[in-house]
Amino acid sequence: MSESLQQALDVSVFWEYRTVLLRGLAVNVYVFAAAAVLALGIGLGAALLRVNRFRALRWIGTLHVEIFRNAPDYIMVVWVHFVLPLLIGYVIHRRFELHPFVSAVIGLGFVYSGYFAETFRAGIEAVPIAHIEAGRSCGMSERLILWRIVLPQVVRRMLPESINQFISLFKATTIVSLIAVPDLMYQVSMITQQEMRPLPLYTGAALTYFAVILLAGSGLRALSERWRRKIYA
Amino acid sequence: MSEQPTIRAVDVHKRFGTIEVLKGVSFEVHRGSVVSMIGASGSGKSTLLRCINHLETPTSGDILIDGESLCFRGGTGSERRPRPLAEINRMRRDLGIVFQQFNLWPHMTVLGNVIEAPIRVRGLARKEAIALGEACLARVHLGEKAIEYPARLSGGQQQRVAIARALAMQPKVMLFDEPTSSLDPELTDEVLGVMRELANDGTTMIVVTHEMGFAREVSDRVMFLHNGLIEEEGLPAEIFSAPKSERFRQFISKHLRPAS
Amino acid sequence: MGNWERLVWNQRDALASGLAVTVEICAIAFVIAVLGGLVLCLVRMYVKPLRPFAIVLIEFFRATPILVQLLWVNYVWPPIFGWPDSFFAAAWAALAVQSSGYLAETFRGGIEAIPRGQLEAAYSAGMSPVRAFWRIVVPQVTLSTAPSIVNQFTVIVKSSTLVSVITVQDLMFQSQKIVNIWYEPIEILTATAAIYIVFIFLVSVAGKSLADLLRRRYGIAAA
Repeated sequence: MSESLQQALDVSVFWEYRTVLLRGLAVNVYVFAAAAVLALGIGLGAALLRVNRFRALRWIGTLHVEIFRNAPDYIMVVWVHFVLPLLIGYVIHRRFELHPFVSAVIGLGFVYSGYFAETFRAGIEAVPIAHIEAGRSCGMSERLILWRIVLPQVVRRMLPESINQFISLFKATTIVSLIAVPDLMYQVSMITQQEMRPLPLYTGAALTYFAVILLAGSGLRALSERWRRKIYA
Repeated sequence: MSEQPTIRAVDVHKRFGTIEVLKGVSFEVHRGSVVSMIGASGSGKSTLLRCINHLETPTSGDILIDGESLCFRGGTGSERRPRPLAEINRMRRDLGIVFQQFNLWPHMTVLGNVIEAPIRVRGLARKEAIALGEACLARVHLGEKAIEYPARLSGGQQQRVAIARALAMQPKVMLFDEPTSSLDPELTDEVLGVMRELANDGTTMIVVTHEMGFAREVSDRVMFLHNGLIEEEGLPAEIFSAPKSERFRQFISKHLRPAS
Repeated sequence: MGNWERLVWNQRDALASGLAVTVEICAIAFVIAVLGGLVLCLVRMYVKPLRPFAIVLIEFFRATPILVQLLWVNYVWPPIFGWPDSFFAAAWAALAVQSSGYLAETFRGGIEAIPRGQLEAAYSAGMSPVRAFWRIVVPQVTLSTAPSIVNQFTVIVKSSTLVSVITVQDLMFQSQKIVNIWYEPIEILTATAAIYIVFIFLVSVAGKSLADLLRRRYGIAAA
C-alpha cells in the first residue's frame, strides 16, 4: 500500500509535462471565461423576465430557469454538440457542425445561466422596494432605476453566492475533455495512455485543481469582501 | 428578616478582557421579595444577573444560593476549588431565568418548551410534567396555546411562554433580564401584568428592567447600578422621591414617566 | 426525425436498466455522503486535534471537479487502499466524496445558526452541553438543512451522468450506446436529457416544498 502511495505522490512525471498540462489548464480557463460571460448575460435576462410585469414573460423566464437549472452539465454539452448541429442543419438545409469548444461554451453557458438567473432574481427581490420608490419619486425611468439603483446592489449583495457558482462552473469545464477539447484532463488522459502511470498523474490533476480553486476562491472572496465592505460596513 | 437570604452576592467583580464591567457588587435578596435592577446601558446590570446563574463566571467574588456557594465548592477553607459544571447545572435548576430574546426552542410546541427541562433535568414523569406545564401556562394565561409552535405567537405571548417555562422548574428565584425590552409597547403590558401577578403571589424575583413604572410600583427594593457598582439602593418610594446621588437623579429625570 | 418509436420506445428496456443503475448509484452515494458529511462536520467542529485534517479533506472534496474525483477514486485508491473493487463502487464512492464535503459545510452552517440564546436557556435550566446539543441543536439542524440535503441529491444525480467514463452502465451510457449503434442522436439524446431534467425537477420541487413547510410551521429558515 505504501509503495503505491509513494507512487501516487511522486508527481515528478506531472512536473515533466508541465507545459502541455498548463496549456490544457489555459483551455479550461478560456472555456470558463466564455461560458461565464454567456451564463451571466443570459442569466440576467432570464432573471429580468422572471420579475417582469407581464405574466407571459415571467412564465418564459421560469421555463428557461427550470429547464437549464435542472439539466446535468454533461448531457447538455453532449446534446449541444451532437443534436443541435443536426437541428440547425435541417433548418438551413446544409450540413452544420459545431466546434467542440463552442458546444462546450454554449452548453455550460446555458446550464449556468439557470443558476445565475436564480441568484440574480433573489438579489433583485431583496432590494428594498423603498429604494425603487425613491427613484421613481425623483422621476427616474424604470431603466435608469434598474441600472443605477437595483443592479449595483444586486451585484454587491449576490457576489459571494456568485463566486461559488463561478467555482462550480470552472470545475464543470473538465467535461470538455470528453468531447475532445484539449483541456487539462484531456492532456492527462493522453499522457496516461503514453506513460501508463495513472497514479501520479490523476493525483497531480486533483492537486492542481485543488490548488487553483483554493487560491482563486480565497482570493476572489477576499477581494469581494473588501469591495462589499464599502457599503455594508 | 433574620433567615438566610435566598441570593447573596459577595463582592462580585467581572472583567471582559481589559474592561472591568462589575467592580465589586454585593447585595442580598430575601425570600418573597422583588428586587429591580435599573441603570443605564453598560452599567453592568445584565452581566450581574447573568453571574447569578453562572452564564457569566465572576472574575472574583462569589454568589451564594441559600447559603451554598455557586462558584466554589469545599467551603471557605483551603479545599476551596471552582465548582464543576455538573454541580453548577444542579444548582441552576433552582434559578429560573427569562431572557430579553425569549429564546424559545422553535422546533417544540409551547407545551413542549415548558415541560422539556422538568422531564429531562428534574426527571419528572411525562404525565406529571404535562400537568405541571399546563398549570404554568394557565398561570401566564396561555393555556389554550399549548399545542402551538412558538413561531405562531406574538412577542408578548412568546415571552409569557418563556416565563411559564422558567416557572415549570419550580425555582427558588425568578431572574428577568430586560424581559420587555424586545417588545412593542402594546405587548409590554401583558408581560408586566403577569410579572405583577407573580410578585403578588410571593415569588422571589430579580428583575433587570427599563420599565420604571414596574420598578417603582411592584418592587420591594430597587438597586441603581452605575459603572459596575451599586450607586444607590433602597425602597422605591424613598429613593424615587428623594434620590441621594446626583447621577441617579439625572437618570430618573430622563427615564421616569410622570406618575399616572 | 420521426423515429421516436424505433429509437426510444423500443429501447426502453436498455434505458430502464440504465436508469436503474443510475438510481442505485445515486441512492447509495447519497446515504454515504450524508453520513460522511456528518462525520467530517463533527470532527471539524469538536475534535480539536483532528480539526486541520478534517478541514483539508473538506476543502479538497469541494475544490476538485467530479470528473477528476471519479478518475482519482477509480484508479488511485485501489492500489493504495485495496478498494474500490468495482467500477460501480468507485462511482458511488466518488459521488459521495464530492457531496460529503458540501454537506459537512452545510451542517456546520446549520449548527452555527442556532442562536446562542437558545443554548443559554437550556444551560440555565440545568441541561448539560451534550443533552442540550442533542435536544436543541440536532432537531433544528436536521430540519433546517433538509432542503440543502435534498438539493445535494440533485447534484449527485447530475454528476452521475459522468460515471460512464469509468464504464458504469448508467442511463447516459445506455443512451450513448444506442447513439453509437444507430447514428441518430436527436431523439435518444433529447429523450435522455428530458428524463434527467424531469426527474431532477421533481426532486427540487420536493426540496422547495420542504423548505416552505419548515418556514411556515416552525419559523426555521433553511440553512
